[in-house]
Amino acid sequence: MKMKGTLVKCVVVFLLLLLPLKGYGQQELLIGLIPEENIFNQMDRYRPLAAYLSSKLGMKIRLTILSRYGDVIDKFDSRKMDGAFFEVFTAVLAMEKLSVEPIVTKVNLDGTSTSRGYIFVRQDSGIRTVKDMKGKRMAFVDKATVTGYLFAVSFLRENGVKSIERYFKEYYFTGSHDSAIYSVLDNRADIGAADGEVYLRMVEKDPSIKNELFFVAQSPPVPDTTLCLRKDLPGEVKSKIKEILLNMDKDPESKEVLRNLRVIKFRGASKDDFLPVFEIAKKAGVDIKSYRYK
Amino acid sequence: MKKRLIYALVLLFLLFSLGAGVTMVYIYRVTSDLQSVINLHRIEIIRQNLVINTQTVQSNLYTTGTIFGKELDVIVENVTALDDSIHGCKKCHHSREMTARLKDVERNVEQYKEAISYLITTTANPERVGRLKMVAVGIGDRLLSQTQEMAFIADKSLSMRTISAIKEINNSKNILLATLLLTLVIALIIAITLTKQITRPVYALVAATRMIASGHLGYKASYDDKTEFGELAKNFNAMSERLKEEREHITQYIEQLAGLYDITLSLYKITELEDAYSGICRELANLLKVEQCTLILYSDEQRMFVAHPSAYGLSDEQTPLLKFSREKGEELFRQAQGLPVVSNDVLNDERFDPAVTHVLNERSVLMAWLHRKEKLLGVLRVANKNGIFTEEDAKLLTILASHIAVARENALLYEYLQDQMFELRDTQEQLIQSAKLVAIGELASNVAHEINNPLTSIIGFTELLKSEGDIHRIRIRLDIIEKESLRARDIVRQLLRFARKSPLQLMEIDVNEVLREVLQLIDVQVKGNHVEVREEFGQFPQTVGDLNQLKQVFINIINNAISAMPDGGRLTIRTARLGEYILIDVEDTGVGIPKEILTRIFEPFFTTKKEKGTGLGLSISYRIIQDHGGRIDVESYDGEGTRFTVRLPLRTQKTS
Repeated sequence: MKMKGTLVKCVVVFLLLLLPLKGYGQQELLIGLIPEENIFNQMDRYRPLAAYLSSKLGMKIRLTILSRYGDVIDKFDSRKMDGAFFEVFTAVLAMEKLSVEPIVTKVNLDGTSTSRGYIFVRQDSGIRTVKDMKGKRMAFVDKATVTGYLFAVSFLRENGVKSIERYFKEYYFTGSHDSAIYSVLDNRADIGAADGEVYLRMVEKDPSIKNELFFVAQSPPVPDTTLCLRKDLPGEVKSKIKEILLNMDKDPESKEVLRNLRVIKFRGASKDDFLPVFEIAKKAGVDIKSYRYK
Repeated sequence: MKKRLIYALVLLFLLFSLGAGVTMVYIYRVTSDLQSVINLHRIEIIRQNLVINTQTVQSNLYTTGTIFGKELDVIVENVTALDDSIHGCKKCHHSREMTARLKDVERNVEQYKEAISYLITTTANPERVGRLKMVAVGIGDRLLSQTQEMAFIADKSLSMRTISAIKEINNSKNILLATLLLTLVIALIIAITLTKQITRPVYALVAATRMIASGHLGYKASYDDKTEFGELAKNFNAMSERLKEEREHITQYIEQLAGLYDITLSLYKITELEDAYSGICRELANLLKVEQCTLILYSDEQRMFVAHPSAYGLSDEQTPLLKFSREKGEELFRQAQGLPVVSNDVLNDERFDPAVTHVLNERSVLMAWLHRKEKLLGVLRVANKNGIFTEEDAKLLTILASHIAVARENALLYEYLQDQMFELRDTQEQLIQSAKLVAIGELASNVAHEINNPLTSIIGFTELLKSEGDIHRIRIRLDIIEKESLRARDIVRQLLRFARKSPLQLMEIDVNEVLREVLQLIDVQVKGNHVEVREEFGQFPQTVGDLNQLKQVFINIINNAISAMPDGGRLTIRTARLGEYILIDVEDTGVGIPKEILTRIFEPFFTTKKEKGTGLGLSISYRIIQDHGGRIDVESYDGEGTRFTVRLPLRTQKTS
């Protein structure tokens, strides 16, 4: 009997010894991406980061892209995601509806960690005020975006537009910021709302865009894309990921990764960063808790 | 030739290098063509991937929004694969047309991606969504048709490249073959040329060596050029010339030696040495090709060295001028340390008397010393050579001088020996004369003694007769006188027989038969002395001899044997053939002959029978057997007996 007991203890000890070898218990982390811009470009931008993280963390980082901003909230659990790079509004929604916590946020090339939403028209459209917009075609990005929807709605409300359904001839959601810009540029819509960062990336590729568009309104700065992770992920995994990302600017290997993402580094994120969003939501007449983002 | 060989090898090396270079170039071209073909195949695979990926994405698009629609991640993966395909295409090198087409495709892919993304992310009314889908599908279809077009181009390019590669391979084969053949032909030409260039001088040299081997010394190889072979031929010719010279030299030397031999040969006819000098001088002058040759010898009479009259090339007036004192001669000999003295310019040589030189008309002189050990005997002097005197001339003259010295000493020794011989002969003759006188005296004494006895009896009885009156007694005494006289006559006869040889009366005789007759004749004595006779006769042919003389010999020997056995004994007579001789043994068991007299028994008048014998029997027997060409031997042991062995040659009438 004594012998049997010893044997069991030995097996337990052996299994315990094996645990560190197994790492964090799971082989990969699934990270969601919102269709900030062309989904393929979005994936291309994040793939090097995923590869870098995988090598540093010792766990495979797999990316999944979502067709709608809101899908990141709806499909987070069903797709068993461990985290996602949330747009500011979806981040707020996620913090309300899902059990996630903010880890890091991007520091853009201008040194800020914020972005602004814009309402723009073609230069040649003649539209300069909200009044001019009446009866025109409006292209939003997604209901679950501050810069591509909420800001525009709040701005329109502030300028007397009670109902966008009635005010515009047609309005639709392009799903991504660049599509919204292209919709206006290609004359598929007259007015558009989109994120300033995406706009800058497009201008970098095609500077002529700058001359073709006229900006009607600009939002206050809102936090930029933020990585949130499931709260129930092992603390050391989270802290390790945070540590790797925060130190990326010091690692020569990550230079190309950061350049590809068009950021200079990551900085730590906290809930307080998202306060401006609530202000905008209020102005837009949105109750975040009950907001139907689809 | 070394340079030519190096050039040829370098040329060959360059040719092979060229061949190898051409081969390498063609292999490179062929492999690059093949690589192009392989690449085109790879491109085709990439293109097919592009088509497949495009079709996949197209099918994704068609099913989007339906239950068959793929997850967005799958679509993204497929589009990424499509993107990768087109990037894969771009990585390769293409023609300008193809590059333009690829750019077009790439642009379409970008548009396609844009359209798909737009379609996927857009939330709008169904019409707008439908339109967006049609736009995407349209781009996709265009992409497909573009890739199909590219397939035709690629296929065409592939087949063209394949044909070109095959053509290139065939060309390579031909060029390679041509290069190999060309290299082989050139290598062969080089090999043949080089072989000819090498073998021609070798054959010439071999032919020359054969000529030399067959005795044609001095033969010259006809080959001449500036190569090592030319140098070799030059050296060979020099060697051949040198050999010829050496042979001529040796021949000349042999001739000199032969001459020397001839000269020295006459030297050893020591009895005619003085006469030989003039011949020697003449022959030596011929041999050394000189005008004068003189032998200066020491004269005991004049007590100085004087030229022998046999001098060659000098007149009777000139010859006597060559003389010098003993002291001067010995001083010169010491100064020269026995070595020959040579001067090829006598007129300016202090060692020579200018007056004598002038009179003798001398230009060059060579002198060699005649000496035995340290004693100077004379000088051999030659002068006025046709050319100059060489070391070999000096050697030759020295050798000859040594021979003359030896011959001269031998001649002197011979003279001395001859004198000695004459003295010895005189002494010997005197001795012989004395011995003869002694022998005659002894013989006369023996004869006198033998004759004295009967004479004494005769004289005594004659004295008695004078006073005897009785006729009977006178008759008795006269009988005694007669008997003694006859005895004296017998002695004289035997002496005469001994002294005078009677010629042999030769006839065929059977030795065994002769012995039997003899035994019959002396049968009385045999029996009277109680002697047992044994006949052991062998078989052999008849021989030739004097029957009576031989009978006398055998009677003598057998009688002696019987006499040696006064108390009886055994007489064995044995005959046998031994080679070309007949042996007759007469052996008795008598008293034997004492050793000290055994050697004297064949001497005349030597006898052991005192008054009974004359002492001439055995000596006469010995003479008879000697006359027959045989001999008598005797063996005797005191008190045991004696054996006489007669040896007669076996002859036929003809051979005798």
